[in-house]
Formats: sequence, C-alpha cells, structure tokens
Amino acid sequence: MTDRTEVAIVGSGPSGAVAALELVSAGIGVTVLEQGDWVPAEAFDGARPEWELTQLKQWHPNPNIRGRPEDYPIDTAASDVNPLMFAGVGGAALIYGAHWMRFMPSDFRVRSLDGVAEDWPFGYDDLAPFYAYVEEAMGVSGEDGNPAYPDGAPTPLPALPIGRVGRRAAAGMNRLGWHWWPGSNAIPSRPWRRLQPCVLRGTCGTGCSDGAKATPDRTHWPDALARGARLLTGARVVRIETDAQGRASGVIWVDRQGARHRLAADVVILCANGVGTPRLLLASGLANRSGLVGRRLMMHPFATVAGRFDDDLESWVGPAGQILTSCEFYETDASRGFLRGAKWNCMPAGGPQGFRAGYGNGPLTDAWGPAFHARTRASFGRSFEWGIIGEDLPDPDNRVRLADDLTDSDGLPAPRIAYRVSDNTRRMLDFHVARAREAMQAAGAVEIAETRLIRDCGWHLMGTAVMGADPETSVTDEYGRCHDVPNLHVMDGSTFPTSSGMNPTATIMAVAARSVLNLIDTRAGLEVA
Amino acid sequence: MTLTAEDRATLARLAALMVPGGAGMPSAARISLQGAPLDRVLAHAPQLSGPLGRFCAAARDVADMAGLDAAAQADRDGFEALAVAVGNAYFMAPQVRHAIGYPGQEARDASVGLTAGDQALLTPVWQRGRLWRAP
Repeated sequence: MTDRTEVAIVGSGPSGAVAALELVSAGIGVTVLEQGDWVPAEAFDGARPEWELTQLKQWHPNPNIRGRPEDYPIDTAASDVNPLMFAGVGGAALIYGAHWMRFMPSDFRVRSLDGVAEDWPFGYDDLAPFYAYVEEAMGVSGEDGNPAYPDGAPTPLPALPIGRVGRRAAAGMNRLGWHWWPGSNAIPSRPWRRLQPCVLRGTCGTGCSDGAKATPDRTHWPDALARGARLLTGARVVRIETDAQGRASGVIWVDRQGARHRLAADVVILCANGVGTPRLLLASGLANRSGLVGRRLMMHPFATVAGRFDDDLESWVGPAGQILTSCEFYETDASRGFLRGAKWNCMPAGGPQGFRAGYGNGPLTDAWGPAFHARTRASFGRSFEWGIIGEDLPDPDNRVRLADDLTDSDGLPAPRIAYRVSDNTRRMLDFHVARAREAMQAAGAVEIAETRLIRDCGWHLMGTAVMGADPETSVTDEYGRCHDVPNLHVMDGSTFPTSSGMNPTATIMAVAARSVLNLIDTRAGLEVA
Repeated sequence: MTLTAEDRATLARLAALMVPGGAGMPSAARISLQGAPLDRVLAHAPQLSGPLGRFCAAARDVADMAGLDAAAQADRDGFEALAVAVGNAYFMAPQVRHAIGYPGQEARDASVGLTAGDQALLTPVWQRGRLWRAP
C-alpha cells in the first residue's frame, strides 16, 4: 500500500524545519524524511571530561570519520576540503557553531559590483524581513548597530559576554583602527521559548548538552509536530519518482532495516544540503537540463591564526559560538590582488587538548617530554584564534557526482567530490592571514601560529542546484522551484548563486522561509502529479 | 582488541617519557595513567585499542625519546593513537586539572552580557561609521 502526503520534505535540518513548520501551519499535510534520528541533549559530552576525546570520533563533523550507518560516506580524494555534515533531526545544526551572520548587501550583487559570478535574483532588502523572522525563531543574540550592515543587523536578544578573550582581541583591533563587533550567535543569552539560556560552556561545535543552542529539533520541530507534521526518522530517500508528464509523484525511501517504501506526494521539497540534494537529483536523473546539478559547489575555505598570550585569558570559556566578528576586509579592494573578501570570527581555544592542536606540527620533543609541561603551562588558557571564512566563487568544475565504487550503508552510490581552491581564494586567504597576524601582534600575542587551509572545514555547502531565471543556466527559479519539474523544489543552500564570506545558516533559513511562503501563496496554481 | 598487561607496562614506560612531570604538573606515573585513566579513554574511544596495542608491541624496547621518535616514524597512526590516549587520559585526571587551573567546560552566567568597559571598547568602531558597500 502506498503512503500519501501533500508535501514530502527530504531532510529535517534548518531549511527542512522552516519549510515543514510553515506548511503545516498553513494547513498543508507534510511528511519529512530524515535519515538520522533524534539526538537528546544528554547524548552530547560537553559537560563531561570526555568531551575532547569523543569529538575525535563520535562527534566529529566529518561523516567519514564518524562512520555511522545513518550518515553516508563521501569520496573526497579529489577535493582540497572535506564536506562536513550530520544526519539527525535538526541536521548539521546539531553540531554547528551557531555563528549567525546575515549576508551583506554586496553579496547579492557580485556580478554588478565586481564583474564575477552572478547576481542573485533578489537583494538584501528583499530578504531582510525573512532574516528578522527566522532570527526570532532562533533566539539570536547580538549587539544592534553593527556598522557593517545597513540596518545594523538587529537581533532579538542582547549579546553574549565577550570575556577576557574578546576584550584582548578587541583592544588589538582598536589599536589598528579595524572593525570588530560582538559576535551574533543563534544561542540565546536569556531563556527563549524552548531554549535554555547559554551557559558559556564553549562546546557548541560538538552539540549543546544544555539545550541552549538553537537547533531545529528545539526551535521548530516541537511546533511542527504539534500541528500535525509527520517526521519519519531512519528514513533515507533513494530517489524521487515522476509521472508520465515528468512531474514529481513521490519518493522511494529505505528504512534502517533495509525495507523500501513509497511515499506519494503532490510536492517534493529537497532540504538535504549542498551535497545530499544534488546526490538525490543525480540519482533520480531529474532537473538537470542545464547540466548544472552538482556543479558550482562552494564550501568556504577556512584559515586560522592562533595567538598565545602571557596573561590568563580563560580561553576555554565560551561561547564557541563566535566571540567577536570582523568585516574590516570583507569587501572587494582590487589593489589586494583578489576579488571579494572574508569574514573573521574570534574563537576561544577550547580545552587543554584543543589548544595543543594549533601547535602540534613540530618535532616530537617539542610536543612531549619536559616541553609538554612547559608548553601547557605557557599556553593553556592563554590562546585564541581568528578564523577566516573566505568567499569562494562558483566554478563548474567544483562538483558533486555519484561514486561508482563507494556506497552508503544501504548500497546507494555515495557522493564523490571534486573541489579545488582557486588562485583567487588562495591569494585572499594569504592576505587575510597576514592581516590576522597583525591583529594578533596588536593584541599582544607572544607567539602566533597559522593554518592557511583547514581540510576539515566544509561546513558551508552551497551552489549545486543554482537558482536563476534562465532554465538553460540554472536549476531552479528564485523560489527554488525546479525549472524542469514544477512541483519539485530545492530549499537549502544548493540554490545559492554565490557563497558570500558569511556563515550561511541565517541565509539558508531566510531563503527557505521566502521560498516556502511563496509556495503556500501560489499552491492553487500548482501542477501536481 | 584488549591491551595486554605487557602492552600496559610498555605504555606506562612510554607515557613516563612523554609526560615526565614538571612545571607544577604531575607525571604520568603519578596518576597511574596506564590504569584507570587509560581505561576511561578506551571506554569512550575503543577505536584506539588496535593501533595502540600494535604500537606498544613494537615499542617494547624503547627507552628514550630518540627511540620513541623512531617508533613514531615507523608507525604514525600507532603513535597518533598513543598521543591521543596519553593526552586525554592525562588531562581528564582531576589532579591534573587542578594543577593547571582548569575547571573543565563549566557553566557560567551568560546574562551579564556586555560590560560598560566593553561598550567603551566599541565606541571607536561605530564612530568610524558605515562599513558596508552599497549594492
């Protein structure tokens, strides 16, 4: 017997959660398929001494390292960067840093301003109400009036404390006359709806054991389920089915016992991230008239500059989360030798194992023996880093394909990534690393270490089902509706024409809200199978 | 794979080289790292057991840092497992945390927000004015 729903959504992360809640609130039946499971706050190790140990395996962001059956493996042999994600209710947000940044106005007009890539079909002002809408849901904390934004990027809650680390970093930036601002985070500084207030434990990136970090399993799913949404966990979608007219008619999915099921649907929405969504489109052979499905993958190459200081900064204290941000070098200045720019985030150093990672490349005798104690005494609690998120521009050769020799736990082809960091991006990171070193020196660092490209940095997966007006040069329209399959939608970061240099979750959720509200408004004229 | 008593004896010798004690911090021997602290690590990271046992079996005769370095060069993955096990077992020990002034990832009150001093630090930032680029 075939199961039936009005709308089938693939993926329960930030975009899937937004779509599901809006649809069910409008009285539309929704079934969501999530290949992972619920993860209770008690499962996270942040408040336990084992925290630094289990982040090396169980809570590592790279699915290839976790090796869980509900994740899928990824062939990254031809990639400079590893894609990072997590299968579970709430998606990768369960282990994200909750850095909450709106894209800048210029990010939507890259072609017009800098002559590269493409402009977005809409602009910052169009998206601003949707940013505000999702920021309320996520309990974003921040300081209003940021001069990096035309409207100051207001947030519903006041900023989290910046602590000793933030003050030290800020003083350095002020000496140079450079922009900084208290970090904005999807972590409430006060009790907020179903979220507990942040306790600055500093373990956000391995899951919040305090129920404070805004993740969709807390911010959206309880309401969506209460209003009648159906959420199937352990449900991996195999392919999208179509009818004789080429309209989406439902999905085939497999449960954790290996049994296959068919879910018929009037509308299918993909919210499976910038790797999972093109994987599913390619596996289904759909929506690829343009040949762009899977192409233009952008992952935000990431560099860090870590500084060690003589004084005690308590640099294990959160949020982590971002303590400060800087947009000083965000916009294009052609005299620097590259186009576009990068956003910086100031981060604490973590526990005694975390700080060692930044200084672990020397000879063994530098790391162990008497030096082990000397370095621990000199460094622990006295370090922080500036992280640098560089905007990588779309390149059709950076892409997701299906592997022919690697499968997931259900025997389905795994994604294969081809991704090379461009010369423009390398020049960008070189410039920013040099500036961040200056910022550390100005802050009084006595030792500085840098990592020019971190391989495990592919948090931000974008561009692989690009939106646009022309079906020959884009996969979806501006609302994520596939040109080739009018009742098949993409509402995750796959549709982004460019990546900006900002953490994308805010924009993913805002764009999803804009798209799904359009779908609701226009559903009377929708072609369904 | 379970570590043998001989593996643990070897690990104790290697840990003594790696963590000899100093700068007000206890040695690996002082906290009997090869016992309960190691058990705690392996309980949460069982994937370490295989490479750790392999490395210890190959390093039975290591007596100094030069020997450890040679063993590490011969088995990078095995040494990485040893480094992870020793480092985590050591820093999870309460007496070590006390010695370095680390309370763990403790809970604090975030509602204090920005202080008046923080706001003063911000003054020159907003006084410099708009940073964004008009689209």
